[in-house]
Amino acid sequence: MRRYIARQLVQLIVVVFGISLLAFAILHVLGDPVLLLLPQNAGKEEFERYRHLLGLDRPMYVQYWKFVSRAVLGDFGKSWYADTPAFRLVLERMPPTIYLTLAGLVVAMVIALPLGTIAALRRHSWVDSLCTVVAVAGQAAPIFWLGIMLIIVFSVRLRLLPASGYGTWQNFLMPSFCLGAALAPITMRLVRSGVIEVMNMEFIKTARAKGLAEGRVVVKHAFRNACIPVITVLGLQFGQLLGGAIITETVFAWPGVATLTVESIRNQDFPVVQCAVVLLALLIVGVNLLVDLVVGFIDPRIRAA
Amino acid sequence: MSTPTRVELGEVIAAGASPVTARQATWRRLARLRWGVGAAGVLLLIIATAVFAPLIAPHDPLAVDIRHRLSPPAWMEHGTAEHLLGTDQVGRDLLARMIYGGRVSLAVAVASVIISATIGVLLGLGAGYFGGNTDWTIMTVINVMLTFPFVLLALAVIAVLGPSLMNMIFVLGVAGWPIYARVVRAETLAIREREFVLAGRALGMSHGRLVFRQILPNLVSTIVVIATLQVAQVIILESFLSFLGLGVQPPTPAWGNMLGEGRLYMLNSWWIATFPGLAIFLTTLVINLMGNALRDWLDPHLKE
Amino acid sequence: MKRGITLASMVLLGVSLLAPADLVAQSRDETVIYGLQSDVQNWDPPNSVLRESIILGYNVFDHLAARDLKTGKVGPSLAVSWKNLDDTTWEVKLRQGVKFHDGSPFSARDVKASFDRVLNPENKLTARGNHAKIKSVEIVDDHTVRFKTDGPYPLFVERLTALVMQSEKVMKEKGHEWMQENPIGTGPYKLVRWNKKQEHVLIRNEDYWGPKPAYKYVRIRIIPEQATQIAELISGGVDIIKAVPPDQMDVINKSGQARTTISPILRTAMIQLDQAGRAGANPFQDRRVRLAANLAVDIDSIIKHVLNGLGDRVATTVNPMAFGFDPGLKPFKQDLAQAKKLLADAGYPNGLDVAFLRGQAWAEPGVVQTSDAIVSDLAKAGIRTKARMVGEVGPFTNLVRDGKADPMFEWTWGYYSIFDADAIFFDVMTCNQPYSVYCNKAFDDLVIQGRSTLDAKRRTEIYAKAQKLIHDDAAYLYKWSLRGVWGVSNRVEYEAPRDEVDRMWIVTPRKK
Repeated sequence: MRRYIARQLVQLIVVVFGISLLAFAILHVLGDPVLLLLPQNAGKEEFERYRHLLGLDRPMYVQYWKFVSRAVLGDFGKSWYADTPAFRLVLERMPPTIYLTLAGLVVAMVIALPLGTIAALRRHSWVDSLCTVVAVAGQAAPIFWLGIMLIIVFSVRLRLLPASGYGTWQNFLMPSFCLGAALAPITMRLVRSGVIEVMNMEFIKTARAKGLAEGRVVVKHAFRNACIPVITVLGLQFGQLLGGAIITETVFAWPGVATLTVESIRNQDFPVVQCAVVLLALLIVGVNLLVDLVVGFIDPRIRAA
Repeated sequence: MSTPTRVELGEVIAAGASPVTARQATWRRLARLRWGVGAAGVLLLIIATAVFAPLIAPHDPLAVDIRHRLSPPAWMEHGTAEHLLGTDQVGRDLLARMIYGGRVSLAVAVASVIISATIGVLLGLGAGYFGGNTDWTIMTVINVMLTFPFVLLALAVIAVLGPSLMNMIFVLGVAGWPIYARVVRAETLAIREREFVLAGRALGMSHGRLVFRQILPNLVSTIVVIATLQVAQVIILESFLSFLGLGVQPPTPAWGNMLGEGRLYMLNSWWIATFPGLAIFLTTLVINLMGNALRDWLDPHLKE
Repeated sequence: MKRGITLASMVLLGVSLLAPADLVAQSRDETVIYGLQSDVQNWDPPNSVLRESIILGYNVFDHLAARDLKTGKVGPSLAVSWKNLDDTTWEVKLRQGVKFHDGSPFSARDVKASFDRVLNPENKLTARGNHAKIKSVEIVDDHTVRFKTDGPYPLFVERLTALVMQSEKVMKEKGHEWMQENPIGTGPYKLVRWNKKQEHVLIRNEDYWGPKPAYKYVRIRIIPEQATQIAELISGGVDIIKAVPPDQMDVINKSGQARTTISPILRTAMIQLDQAGRAGANPFQDRRVRLAANLAVDIDSIIKHVLNGLGDRVATTVNPMAFGFDPGLKPFKQDLAQAKKLLADAGYPNGLDVAFLRGQAWAEPGVVQTSDAIVSDLAKAGIRTKARMVGEVGPFTNLVRDGKADPMFEWTWGYYSIFDADAIFFDVMTCNQPYSVYCNKAFDDLVIQGRSTLDAKRRTEIYAKAQKLIHDDAAYLYKWSLRGVWGVSNRVEYEAPRDEVDRMWIVTPRKK
């Protein structure tokens, strides 16, 4: 177990290093910050002065080191547009995104767990076919399209739910459903295959042979073991779930990091973009690590290693 | 409802496998195949309209006619046969824009899938065949890339490069490769120990020859399956970027930016956004169906 | 079992995180909700050019003078009277018994401090240009101030509606940084909370010197998407929205939940052509090309078909409601043949390609669609544009200010709500102004003459000359003056304001 955690930690460090490189490269390799900051007709002298001022005339590795050593302390520089530290701006917007993601996750589970399990237990029944149809169709419908449709039906026509905004539980319903629905098809398939695999394992057969009731077998033994692949993949999917959150937030004017990032990109506000990218990536890495640990905890094969 | 939620293809491929009786299996495969063939037919039709757009489109997709803006589809009140699907907010023919829009959306998807498949397959082969440090490095890069939300990466890069068709193909292409690399690496690891490869090595074949002549041909079917399914994903991603105004730039029509521009009119001129939305849905649906059928047909794991 | 507990506690943690804090406590009946497309950068109106800042500023601060929305005339507010002592001296009497939100009394010292603050070039406040003609402010007694102007200043009274009165005590004790997020005014509402890019909550100032507002609370919600704004209006999430696109009016009026109200507004729309070459050499430095652009476009038909008639064709940039407007000057009419000929004369027989900076409908509803139509007309004459789209208003104006715009770009101007030709001429059309790409010495002379003449008739003549000049020179591509469309919920009574300043304190519940 200890070796397992150590291995995960080493990989974590490498991944974090890679992300910092990527975030740095976004601005410094692909674009020239001075070009974006100064007016077009600025003289060459002013250009050079600015370069020097920002430390852009120093070698890349020095600049990178400066970027990282500041970022570690939460200093990503000031927003070029709002005149506040980028770190503060991003941090302020973090909670709504995290809540939305968790809510989406819950919705996905509520849809996927029962359907996936039933589909696995009653293979080739109409439930199974329905699941396949839902999964294939679901993967084809763009999430932003679904969001707009929800707004038209539930806000404009039925006047039941707020079309945008944040703060009350009603505000959560449509965005989290939207996001959850995006994740449900793949989760459903994983649950299904997980349960099928487990139901054919020796210990289930043993449990059955011992005369345990079928319902108890499913719930107590099969289900928990089927959870392992589901949790693993959800960890991997967390990044994609955040990606989905970007889209959902845009459609519902959700005041999270995602809308902030999109807005900052439009404003060419790179300190904020960098900061958001790094913090989101760290969040994803953290969740992945957590998932690995949880899986290691409940999967006896890994625990023993 | 997929978004850029990238499917863990490896797992899905494995997930399809389950022991069933031979007769059941044959029956199911035939059933899915029928769906696949149907889907392929529809897809061919879509591709054909895109390719022959200039011959089929009833109007110039860019021709503005403000006197006939927001006119509804032909079958509705005030609709005319002149504009079968109606016109948009500045009076451009919606059908023509749909046809040309499909051209752009499909071209972007195919081009970027080719880029990511090339990068992904080369790196995957390298990692799997050479192993050791090469493998470790490439796997680390893959992990970094997979950690990063695809959408976020695409947005950030486009922010710096500026929105344009070429930049979008580049971004989607470069961001999409890890999935190929992962699967190809896993397959290569397995194949490299097989007898015919070991024999080749014993005969003193060069690395290049071993990799490209002996190993790669065995992977083609897997790659084709992934690429097909990825085309659908990229179409959705492209439509989202264009929807945000960061992808294909107006007036060039693409399904995504048509949907984005038509969004304002959802409450009174619903057709402007609805048809491009349906087009995205239908296209990704048939591609997914076809991809699934292809997987059943080609993937070695599934051959009982 | 232990595992079960761990899992359960994780689930609990997730659920507890889900409960969002800070629910809005005020009752819906006591609240009027106003929807805005974009948020302000700060709560310090002199330090912002955005329309949103002006609007929010009106609800929390007062000005020395205020416009009567019915008559359009400027009347007393914090100042009760004013008079000319001579050509360059104005004496203003102030209202007594007025208190700032922090309880301190309003006096002549605050007036002097407010003007000194904006006039000091070191403070770099964006509103400085609006008041630069004022040389000094002297305190006569607690409730009397004297203004010395740099030469005769006919706009003096008009401009009293354009500067909010801030507290001297706050400036001294709290300072500039603090004032960016904490407005202390004398106005009808006080700021309670500001969640950036999300919402502002205002509460009624019970010590307000004027009539008591009907609603105790004002919520200002930031909703960037127009479609969402309309959806929110219909579903009851907001009560008032502005800048409704003309082709969405039927959606609101048919909903049974809300209605639209229309007013001509003090705003003209144009496409600026870089005659001054601020962004580098370009074809529009040639008058013939600018003229060709004006002749290429059928503006009348665009107003009719795209704006559903909600626009008034103008010959120049001067709005019909502004002082100095010359109704005798005829706008350009579409003439493609002449446009092509002019282009050929200018050395572009095969037409030309030019970049066009475009934005979204921040202040000009339907601008995306009207520009699409304009682009299509321009192409017919041979002016082929390549669009650069910018998604946010702040960066767009910054590009223009920094000279990084394209040779042609969309622009609208709301005159800082000053009903005078000078308010657009000076800022948008004279040499070397941040938002001007036109430079013509003869025109500048007329503008300077106009702003230093007190006699109204004389000024009218000067402005007629100026309008003739920029029309004949085809300075910009002239479009129209706007008619604003507001969406108003059936819960409330509200009329469209002609100066585009939404005053929440005049909103009342609708009588059943």
